[in-house]
Amino acid sequence: MGELLQNIVKKSPWIYRINAGSCNGCDVEMATTALIPRYDVERLGCRYCGSPKHADIVLISGPVTAVVKDKVLRVYDEIPNPKVVVAVGICPISGGVFRESYSIASQLDTYIPVDVNVPGCPPRPQAIIDGIAMAIEIWRKKF
Amino acid sequence: MRKFLKVILNNLIKGPSTIKYPFEDSPAPEKLRGKIVHNSDACVACHLCEYVCAGGAIKMQESEDKKGIDFVVWHDTCTFCGLCEYYCPTKAIHLTNDYHTAHLQADKYNYIEKTFVKKQPCTCCGEPIVPLSLAMVEQIYGKEGDVRGLSKMCPQCRRKILWKGGVSKL
Repeated sequence: MGELLQNIVKKSPWIYRINAGSCNGCDVEMATTALIPRYDVERLGCRYCGSPKHADIVLISGPVTAVVKDKVLRVYDEIPNPKVVVAVGICPISGGVFRESYSIASQLDTYIPVDVNVPGCPPRPQAIIDGIAMAIEIWRKKF
Repeated sequence: MRKFLKVILNNLIKGPSTIKYPFEDSPAPEKLRGKIVHNSDACVACHLCEYVCAGGAIKMQESEDKKGIDFVVWHDTCTFCGLCEYYCPTKAIHLTNDYHTAHLQADKYNYIEKTFVKKQPCTCCGEPIVPLSLAMVEQIYGKEGDVRGLSKMCPQCRRKILWKGGVSKL
């Protein structure tokens, strides 16, 4: 029974997104990817969920500011294993235009193991779909 | 009612508006600002792109063997704003419409565009310099005389020659 459930669950990773101090540009693109029928990420079996406890793939945007860092780590710990992290936009990957700012200590991958990077300011919805497709491949291997 | 039926019928004929993106290519608009491509033949190594780069993505450094200049764009911190293309005096930088930017974490620091701008010895004094492109020389000195020769000289020699009597004395 457990095996059967695991095989079913492999077809449908749920997505959770964390805004780590983003300007909302990437968040809008992520919402676009999910909600607009033109892109419709649910074709890949993905669904945005409201609680980190239901999530499998987590999309993080924003440069991880000093204020939000501990909260991001707390929410990240609540996501059950196996989980895959996708950094969306240049801010979590390298700091982007906010790099070396007073409120940004380091990039996301110094706190959390990141699996896929999707650079862009913001990235196109198609690029985010690419990133999610890569994340699903990694996530299926993690079982 | 008739209007409404017309809309329904039209939608039935048109089919769903969803693009089949990961399974089928989705063409990008021609002017979309995507990954940067650098043409090292046209580049004159003026460092203007490095100066205007909003994300600090462009680095130009002299290569270790001092035979030229390394041009590097790290796409992971590029905002795709297009300032470098706008300010480039020789149009050596071009933002293509390639938006396929997703990559694995292992490739993070290799996700770059790297080219090498080669230095040549000045035809007058022999000091290694980055030659000017012909278009740029013509822009500065006009099209008369042997401007092609000026493009392979260092700034000091160019100045000397022009002071002696202009391009015609070459």
